[in-house]
Amino acid sequence: MAEQSLASALTALLGADRVFADSAAREAYSRDATPLFRGLPEVIVAPHSTQEVAEVVKFARATKTPIIARGAGSNLCAATVPLNGGIVVSMMQMKKIIEVSRNEMLAVVQPGVSTTQLDDAVAKEGLMYVPDPGSKTVSTIGGNAATSAGGLRGLKYGTTKNYILGLEAVLGTGEVIRTGGRLVKDVAGYDITRLLIGSEGTLAIFTEITTALTPRPKSAQYGVAYFNTLADASIAVDAIVSAGILPATLEFLDNTCIKAVEDFAHLGLDAQAGALLLFGDDGNSESVAKTVGAMADISSSARGVRAVTLAPDVAAAEALLYARRCSLPALARLGSMSILEDISVPRPQLSRAAEAIEKISEKHSLLIGTFGHAGDGNLHPTIVLDKDDADEVKRAEHSLSDIFNLALELGGTITGEHGVGSAKLPYLRAKLGDVSLSLHHNIKSVFDPDRILNPGRLGS
Amino acid sequence: MSSESREKFTQSKLDRCISCGYCLPACPTYQLTGEEQSSPRGRITLMRALQDGRLPFSDEGAQEQASFCLGCRACEPVCPAGVEYGVLLEEWRDITWRGRKRPLIIKALFQMVSAPWRVQLMSALSPIARKRKSSTDIHLALGCFERRLFPKVSRAVAKLAPNISIDPTQGCCGALHAHNGDLEGGKALAKKLGEKLPGTILSTAGGCAAHLSAVLGQERVQEFSQWWSGNLKPMIRNGKPIRIGLQDSCHLRNGMGVFKEPRKILAQLGEYVEVPDAQGCCGAAGSYSLLRSRDSKKVIAPKVAAIKELGLDYLVSVNPGCTRQLKSALRRSKVKTKVVHIAELIALGP
Repeated sequence: MAEQSLASALTALLGADRVFADSAAREAYSRDATPLFRGLPEVIVAPHSTQEVAEVVKFARATKTPIIARGAGSNLCAATVPLNGGIVVSMMQMKKIIEVSRNEMLAVVQPGVSTTQLDDAVAKEGLMYVPDPGSKTVSTIGGNAATSAGGLRGLKYGTTKNYILGLEAVLGTGEVIRTGGRLVKDVAGYDITRLLIGSEGTLAIFTEITTALTPRPKSAQYGVAYFNTLADASIAVDAIVSAGILPATLEFLDNTCIKAVEDFAHLGLDAQAGALLLFGDDGNSESVAKTVGAMADISSSARGVRAVTLAPDVAAAEALLYARRCSLPALARLGSMSILEDISVPRPQLSRAAEAIEKISEKHSLLIGTFGHAGDGNLHPTIVLDKDDADEVKRAEHSLSDIFNLALELGGTITGEHGVGSAKLPYLRAKLGDVSLSLHHNIKSVFDPDRILNPGRLGS
Repeated sequence: MSSESREKFTQSKLDRCISCGYCLPACPTYQLTGEEQSSPRGRITLMRALQDGRLPFSDEGAQEQASFCLGCRACEPVCPAGVEYGVLLEEWRDITWRGRKRPLIIKALFQMVSAPWRVQLMSALSPIARKRKSSTDIHLALGCFERRLFPKVSRAVAKLAPNISIDPTQGCCGALHAHNGDLEGGKALAKKLGEKLPGTILSTAGGCAAHLSAVLGQERVQEFSQWWSGNLKPMIRNGKPIRIGLQDSCHLRNGMGVFKEPRKILAQLGEYVEVPDAQGCCGAAGSYSLLRSRDSKKVIAPKVAAIKELGLDYLVSVNPGCTRQLKSALRRSKVKTKVVHIAELIALGP
């Protein structure tokens, strides 16, 4: 359908103030946070209710128009770039926190609520919404659910998939379903909630989300250990968890990241060290002190350790956390483009992965800084390059392929928490195998018979 | 590059943006609409499309976004990649608001401050601080519209700081020009003022201070609350310390990083209450309240509701545009809180 008639039909459906088809709006929605991917939508709609979402989906089905649900557009896998044109459904007008239930420890929200907004709202009740992706101030709960977002607390607490109790969603047919609910226990039927989490808008569009909450920890403590290499730090991480410790925070940075962060933020880090391990825990202050003390002890006697210190006060702890959080922006300042990757490996393989990434960086003569959620075995090798250097871009693509193969060889995965989107789709078959991929394809047919929902992704 | 020949953005400044979207929650216009094109990231995507020729500079939707932006720069402190959004916006308006395309109101405002004698004319009927020469190297910048609208501010500073020089024959600092599509004009006026007022320039307007410090260097410029170092006694009214709130000046906070200083002063003067979203733009945004009065009122509406709830005696401003905007919004909603410049409040004494 031509853009103009698409827009006017949708305008008749929703009203002019919910429909955008001018060049500037289309341009603005042609990207998300992923570098190198761009595609113009024909029209953008901003529904205010489940009913309106359902009507748009029915319309898209009748006209066989691609339809891409979008929250804040902060994903890093090109999950919301309209590569096939079509309708972008912005969920940003549906941003109400419908309910926070203290006695049931849950919240019911619309998809456009940001992760931080939800966590701030439940903090007033002494509760916490656990998943804390790096983009939490901007990312939406809808988007978090669609990509099963991770964060810095995965090891102890899990990720988004562990915190979604129920969904209201619009299928590719325009029908509205409710899955799960408010119950701790409920095994009636297939676990469709879990199937939809991480489905990247290919099976259904979420219109209401019920999330589980936990009591807010009363205290937290952090420490830092420096090592000669990232592999040494990885071995220490494995030793910590093997000792029966399950801390809230086990994050690390390699030397490239430490230097970039130090140049950027001047935090007094040891820029000579090959790796920085940030460890910490939250809970009641006695048990936190014990856990953090034990992690310091284990680190102190680990291979290749240079120094271990505990943060004496909140300010020092904040500085350490900031060092970890600003790794990406600090790296990004070193070049005109940065590609942030997201592999995950079994924790015992972490040191091998760290060493292999260093070799890949040398092989392709690329600047790769690696940081990540060490406790989860989740690494973010980040390639920093000059976007106008065609040869360097080519080498970066080759190195990505090497990195994904490495992850799979070690029994890991091509994405731990960012999602597959369009960016990692070429590697999905290698990860899943033919049978599983064809199952994905069939599942897609059931939820979305005309294959209009976010076409070209996951099981499409 | 002169304003006559600018046709492109500075590429390296555009390249800085990594499109992460961390700026979205900080942007007042995005908060109003929820639309990507009215967010800082969306606007940078538009600038890139303009730069690469995918959109013409005459595109209506793009021009609307260049105009709808408040220019508050709240996106800068939250940007992990250090994008100089304020500079990019100035370049955008420099390209699109040239010559005949400049809004009429802006042309009229430019006229009013085009020569020092015209600026002086603005205070013809307002009793501003008198001319005086001091041995110290500190000169008071009088502001153009502040002279006309709030002459008490310079008188308060004159009283509080007997050692500074005051020269009413000074001209405009050029912030107005830089923010409204005349970058070169804005720079030239700032330099001229820098020559007229040698040494340290003391400013009572966050917007002027930020512009002057961007052109002349931050070592040359002090905003009043940054400069003030005296000790103060609490002001008691009806047996209780006064309740005071603050509205940040966007460019003072986001451009110069000055926001702790006024709070420190106010905490000495009475019971300081942090206004919710005090760091968010009040919608004045220089000439914005004149150019886009309806949007400007939408931006300030939630703030007025919050201020009403707090029951403050004084709401303190550190920029004349904000003072004007807050005064009229509070008056419209019949809120009794008085709006004053920080120097005026100090000058009231205990």
